[in-house]
Amino acid sequence: MDISKAPNPRKLQLCRTYFMTGFALLPFVWAINVCWFCEEAFRKPPYPEQAQIKRYVIYSAIGTLVWTIALISWIIIFQTNRAAWGATADYMSFIIPLGSA
Amino acid sequence: MAPQKKAAAIWLLLFLQSTATVFSERTRDKMYEPILGASCFRRLNGTHQTGCSSTYSGSVGVLHLVNVDADLEFLLNSPPSPPYAPLIRPHLFTRANLLRLKEAGPKIISVVLLINRTDKMKQFSHELNCPNQYSGLKLNRSMSETATCDASGNVANTWNRWGTGLLHEDFPFPIYYIGEDKDIFKLEDCFEKFNNFNYESHALRSLCAVEVKAFMSAAVNSEVCIRRTNFINNLGGSRYCDPMEGRNVYATLYPRNASENVEVNVAGSEKFIIVSCRLDTTSMFDGLGMGAMGSLVGLAILTQVAHMLRLLLPSPGALSDRQRNVLFVVFDGESYDYIGSQRFVYDMEHLAFPSPSTHTAPISLENIEFILDIGALDDVANIKLHTLTSTPLANQLLQQLNRYAKSPRYNFTVNIESNVGYHIPPTSAQSFLRYDPKLPVLILNSVPSNRYYHSIYDDLENVEFTYANASKDYTTLADIGDTANIFNSSALQMGVRNVSSIVAMTLYEILSGKQYQGSLVANPLLADEFFYCFLQSSDCPLFKAASSPNSPAGPQQPPMRYISVQGGSQESSGWTYRMLGYLLSHPQPAVSKENCTQLPLFFFAGLNGTGECRLTTQNYTHALSPAFLIDNYDWRSGDYSTWTESTWSLLSARIFLRPSNVHEITTLSIGIVVFIISFCLIYIISSRWEVLFEDVPASNAA
Repeated sequence: MDISKAPNPRKLQLCRTYFMTGFALLPFVWAINVCWFCEEAFRKPPYPEQAQIKRYVIYSAIGTLVWTIALISWIIIFQTNRAAWGATADYMSFIIPLGSA
Repeated sequence: MAPQKKAAAIWLLLFLQSTATVFSERTRDKMYEPILGASCFRRLNGTHQTGCSSTYSGSVGVLHLVNVDADLEFLLNSPPSPPYAPLIRPHLFTRANLLRLKEAGPKIISVVLLINRTDKMKQFSHELNCPNQYSGLKLNRSMSETATCDASGNVANTWNRWGTGLLHEDFPFPIYYIGEDKDIFKLEDCFEKFNNFNYESHALRSLCAVEVKAFMSAAVNSEVCIRRTNFINNLGGSRYCDPMEGRNVYATLYPRNASENVEVNVAGSEKFIIVSCRLDTTSMFDGLGMGAMGSLVGLAILTQVAHMLRLLLPSPGALSDRQRNVLFVVFDGESYDYIGSQRFVYDMEHLAFPSPSTHTAPISLENIEFILDIGALDDVANIKLHTLTSTPLANQLLQQLNRYAKSPRYNFTVNIESNVGYHIPPTSAQSFLRYDPKLPVLILNSVPSNRYYHSIYDDLENVEFTYANASKDYTTLADIGDTANIFNSSALQMGVRNVSSIVAMTLYEILSGKQYQGSLVANPLLADEFFYCFLQSSDCPLFKAASSPNSPAGPQQPPMRYISVQGGSQESSGWTYRMLGYLLSHPQPAVSKENCTQLPLFFFAGLNGTGECRLTTQNYTHALSPAFLIDNYDWRSGDYSTWTESTWSLLSARIFLRPSNVHEITTLSIGIVVFIISFCLIYIISSRWEVLFEDVPASNAA
């Protein structure tokens, strides 16, 4: 879908839908929202709905950032402690490496 | 372009492509030369992993022939182009050397190749000084080690003084055994031609290297790999390890009565004398190791004792007490913390032996009159009768054994002495004593003199066996002097005959209440056939006689006697089952072949292959450690054997010329440069397409 051809209220509605969907533990939707509406929010000449779109984009960006930090730190913690956690770590995993602890 | 030219261009392209694929296969075949051998693999117990594993894609090392210790020093101290793969001879394959290689790490030593050059070898055993150190008889439950062997004391007093214990070490590199001369020549030749000169330039030139693939899936210990295998998230269903399991074989001297309600009836007044030995052996390398002296001699003696008693006491009518019977049991998996005997005792304790499917009453430990365990008889002329305490039974048995052993009439020249106390050999009997030290257990074992215990070299040369192939009837008893012209008195067959006869005569005296007066002794021809089958070829007269008449001949190799896992060959228990069944069975001439299909009736090929119906008594019991049956078993408790074997997808080795680092980097850089240039070229061509295709109208090209 080419967003530049959509009317402004439709853009706002789309942006809000994406922002709301992100709350269903879907940080990638927030990330997509940021990429997709970044230009609309900050580059385009002002129009009435732009302030709200801008707000949603900024909130989505913050959400994405928080998720990224949380995921990266969890992955680091898990990967460095997996062997030490023993059975607990195995129960958390779907793929267990072959031939090592 | 004219259509003919286009077609020609396409043909040329196709032709080039097809030749290119043919060439690529040839290149691979030219690059690699396969090496046949046997690999070391990973086994795990409740606390450790042992054995070897390669890296996931295969470990590669530069060949280096180690002839003397100095060659090893050179590799460890100043390796010019690591990692290396030392080619080691058995006499240098010592604990000290291997631990140094392990310490150097896989960056310096990535593969170890053991070559079959035995000229300087004096001993080769990788079992512990105290085999089954943690599963034998203990003084009290808090001890972790057995009281029957002191591993920290004088090595000469242990049960395997030549043992290096390498079987219980974990190596970070694969160890590959190369047995065939052809393959050893290939390796030596490649080493001489490409590696063994100008060591300063090793880092700069192509070197002959070996790649060994022996990647093991399991890790850490049995608890972890069993948990991962049974894991609910294990969607792929991949197995990490399998418990070691096999089959114990047992047979009774007389058939037991079938009983209807077997759940409630314990075999009340039945009394059993158990004669036992072990079935299995092990070694460091997959599929090798015959355990000739370590365990096969014991099995040969048990077989002959069973056969002789069957012929001397054909029916229970000859017994002083008709409730008596002899139970012959051959335990599997004894090399790995007594798997078979632990399970047997566990089954007896839970009244699960024999299994309900046999429709016979369960036998409990109270039904046992005594247990005579045949251990390792390294020296068949000097035997000790081990007991925990001095009992009237032990004294009487020793006296009876010695009466026949020393009798001038038979001239057996066997010396049997008593040994009372905790210095008990690592045999199946320890499982019984561990359950209850008061059980009447007697063990026949000689002073250990096997320098190749649990190794690939415990073979027919170790027991000095030569097949006489007399082609005579081996199913009858022989007169004392009958076979003197076939075997000399020091032959293995005669040694086995002597011990078997003494034991059988003693058991005859106990069972019948009369001294044995006959002149017939066990037949050394049976021992001859037995050893031929188990050491040289399964396609042999004894195994043929013990199969059904039309069954296919056994393979030309001897049966593998390592316990293995579920789905393993289990051929040794199969052959032992049929052989014991045949030798202990009673002919049923009245039964026709058509009616002889249901056990206990079995139609054997027999001595001359014509077929005969016989009433058999043999059966299997499951040799799987109780640790795998008990819910929430504590793997670290040490109560039962916890051995598992890792799974693997491939064991292979091949040699090739490994290019130097400089060469590899150059090749990669050229590749990258060509890649970039090709991109630029395509870009230029596509932006200047009008030059090439000037006759195509511009509107069509868009």
